[in-house]
Amino acid sequence: MEKIKDYRLYLAFLALFLILLPVGNLLGLVSTNTISLWGRYFCFAIVAIGVDLIWGYTGILSMCQAFFFCLGGYALAMHIVLSGAGASNGSDLPDFMVWNQVQSLPFFWVPFQSFGLAIILGLLIPAAFAFVFGYFIFRSRIKGVYMAIITQALALAMWLLFLRNETMLGGTNGLTDFKSLLGFSLSAANVKLGLYLLSLILLCCFYYLSKKLVNSKFGKVLQAIRDSESRTSYTAYRVLDYKLAIFIFSAVLAAVAGMLYAPQTGIITPGRMDVKASVEMVMWVALGGRGKLKGAILGALTVNFLYSICTSLFPDSWLFILGFLFVITVLYFDKGFFGAIEALGEKLKRKPVPGRPVSEHESVQS
Amino acid sequence: MKYIGKMLLGLCLCLLVLKNASGQSDSLGIYVGNVINPPNDSARAEALQRLVAMRDPKTFPFLGAINGKKIYLFRGKSVTTGEAEEIDGKELFPLYFLYPEYKPVNDKAGKQMKTSTASLEKANISRSDRLLLNPVLPYLNLANPDPKKRSIAYGQLLNASDSTRITILAGALNLEQDQDALTAGKEVLYQMKLNIAASEQEAKAYMDSLDNNWGENVTVILKEYAATGKVAGARAYAAEKVAGFEVLQGRITKAQNLFSGISLGSILILIALGLAIVYGLAGIINMAHGEFMMIGAYSTFCVQSLFMEVLGIRSDLFYFVSLPVSFLIAGVFGLILERLVIRHLYSRPLESLLATWGVSLILVQLARSIFGDLTAVKAPSFLAGGWQVMPHLILPYNRLFIIGLTILVVSLTYLMLYRSRLGIRIRAVTQNRSMSSCLGVETRKVDAITFFLGSGLAGMAGCAMTLVGNVVPDMGQTYIVDSFLVVVTGGVGKIAGAIVSGLGIGFLTKVLESFYEAVYGKVLILALIIIFLQFKPRGLFPDKGRIAED
Repeated sequence: MEKIKDYRLYLAFLALFLILLPVGNLLGLVSTNTISLWGRYFCFAIVAIGVDLIWGYTGILSMCQAFFFCLGGYALAMHIVLSGAGASNGSDLPDFMVWNQVQSLPFFWVPFQSFGLAIILGLLIPAAFAFVFGYFIFRSRIKGVYMAIITQALALAMWLLFLRNETMLGGTNGLTDFKSLLGFSLSAANVKLGLYLLSLILLCCFYYLSKKLVNSKFGKVLQAIRDSESRTSYTAYRVLDYKLAIFIFSAVLAAVAGMLYAPQTGIITPGRMDVKASVEMVMWVALGGRGKLKGAILGALTVNFLYSICTSLFPDSWLFILGFLFVITVLYFDKGFFGAIEALGEKLKRKPVPGRPVSEHESVQS
Repeated sequence: MKYIGKMLLGLCLCLLVLKNASGQSDSLGIYVGNVINPPNDSARAEALQRLVAMRDPKTFPFLGAINGKKIYLFRGKSVTTGEAEEIDGKELFPLYFLYPEYKPVNDKAGKQMKTSTASLEKANISRSDRLLLNPVLPYLNLANPDPKKRSIAYGQLLNASDSTRITILAGALNLEQDQDALTAGKEVLYQMKLNIAASEQEAKAYMDSLDNNWGENVTVILKEYAATGKVAGARAYAAEKVAGFEVLQGRITKAQNLFSGISLGSILILIALGLAIVYGLAGIINMAHGEFMMIGAYSTFCVQSLFMEVLGIRSDLFYFVSLPVSFLIAGVFGLILERLVIRHLYSRPLESLLATWGVSLILVQLARSIFGDLTAVKAPSFLAGGWQVMPHLILPYNRLFIIGLTILVVSLTYLMLYRSRLGIRIRAVTQNRSMSSCLGVETRKVDAITFFLGSGLAGMAGCAMTLVGNVVPDMGQTYIVDSFLVVVTGGVGKIAGAIVSGLGIGFLTKVLESFYEAVYGKVLILALIIIFLQFKPRGLFPDKGRIAED
């Protein structure tokens, strides 16, 4: 019963985004702008899966996912900027370096000249960062609120670091003026559609993978850690390893999303990685329904879609709306929209059969 | 050695003054008179030429007024006008005599005269006559009413090629009243004399004078002399002095960093104190805490506007009113938040973090739509300036005030927590909520009161913040992460923890900033905190005893 409902949902989702929107775009009914916008939403949805894995399933509130997101984004952006540099200013340096009177390419930019290395580094750096940072934090048993605060401080410090000009990452303006990637012009409509489809397919892949993950034994241990960390460790599970693994995995997910995001948006700035950005990512999951992968994706898509509508209709009030959504969700919809919809469905279904036992699902969540 | 130099110099100055006083002043007066009321056509030009040739600093205000075409006649004497003031819709100018002394023109009651320019008789001095002033133009600023401009003019004399510049400068310094300008001028004078000094003894004497005078550029001057000085024997002496100065300068910089570290730390303490108490008591992570600080700052701004614009009281009184007002308003906002939102989230720290983040978004946007992007509170005048501990080491009063306020507030909080019935209840609920509830403590009420107090403390911190920075809607967010770090390192719900770690973090930030850039300082601090938590995961002052988790 549950399975059939799920399949219907997947089919509807795929029919809408994999067939309806692209075909509409090819026929000229849906603008390329809309396609590009939804492509970006899918990137956010990939981050949201990562946040849900680490927060919803493992109970670790990480507030630096936006930083990992930007590490991935910057890695690919550096490659794009480098490959397009020669044409605009004669030297093989990016524009902003020429303006800052930099003579030669900084050493850490050199590997990004190759596409393959840029992708590998874009995944490896966030993973290494998550490993080192996570190892020290989890080792000293920092958890709960402390974890949230420390990761927030990390996001703040890194944001400040990326804002500086002398870190050679473009300062406040970030990296922009992307021309082509692997020979494809990034402004062409076909390429945009291609990136959209790539994001969608990767989103589906990661969803499938994560679904398998949370239903595996590994995922069960994660949920055990969420529900009672000390009891899990008493039963001889190495909690540190599990937490570290899922932290690294979610960092890599965020980095992949960042890599897809940068070429579609055409710019990546430190503004994407400040504390606010990370909290918003957590909020997508909270709004959608944490502890449910579908909820995380739904939350990311809905909030960002709302954001686009609201900022064009009433620009000043977006923060009010978002703020109220935060408060109301936390206070009244503990399990997010998805949880609320399901609860409503349960209620409607329950009426005809009064003596129905409480479902297993409800008793687990507390 | 120092005294010989001083005596020599005193002698020089005396001689100069005497020389000026004896014969010159009579003829100066005659020439000045001739410029204002020339007996015949050529007399004005001739008198001007004479005055220019004499280069007496006493006449510079007079010549400057001629050059600036701001010279008028008043009761047969030459006067000039100061900055215009608007009184009863009319533009009035204060008057100043120019010669023999630059001083305000007083009326019979002893107050400075203020008139409009229409009622004054303008002294018409032709352009060709004014051109005669060209040789002295570089010196006219030596008599500028603004001490800062005079200091600059003294410095510019160094580049003048005039052989009489030392005499001119000494004469001008003789009339100098302002202490800072005098120091700057003397430095230039000694530097000129040092550069022409022929004997070793003379050069050393001037170096001592420079040392005694201790102006802004003394290290640079001595360094230059140590490298390229005329008297080879005195160079080593100059180098020795430079080394001494650099040690001293290093110490002063250290003292200044220490001081700003303490003052930053005390702001952090003010913010973190409320945060620590509330978190310890109810397990609430209040991300909107920084916004209570913002509310406190805006209340101060409102009180100031009320005083200045509505009541028309232009005094510093507003600040004393705004301290309790900002406490109350921020506290009431905190109480409202507690009743509406926080109440439902006790002991669910992660949820409270998210919900209060939403509240903070709303409050920031609210402040932005009411007050706009940037407002500033005018700091009360009694906090302007600073306490000069020694030359070149000034501790600003506003920072001293913040430190004092912090000490006061922390002591009051301590007394409240450890010496009052309310404090006992708060500590009881912090230690064991259900047990205190069983023993008849109204925990909900204690929660509300604590929240009120914590938010009020943040509001007061906001009021203090207006002294050192602008009032902007997102001012709270810049401090919130730092203050949470203070809570984390200090240990939960401990006043001592908040104080020690607040001071420590503020202090380290400033010290690291002086070694590295501000940003790297922040990264280092974070690294240090993470390392620290490896050894003390429950903060500086953890609860004693073994409490099973979960």
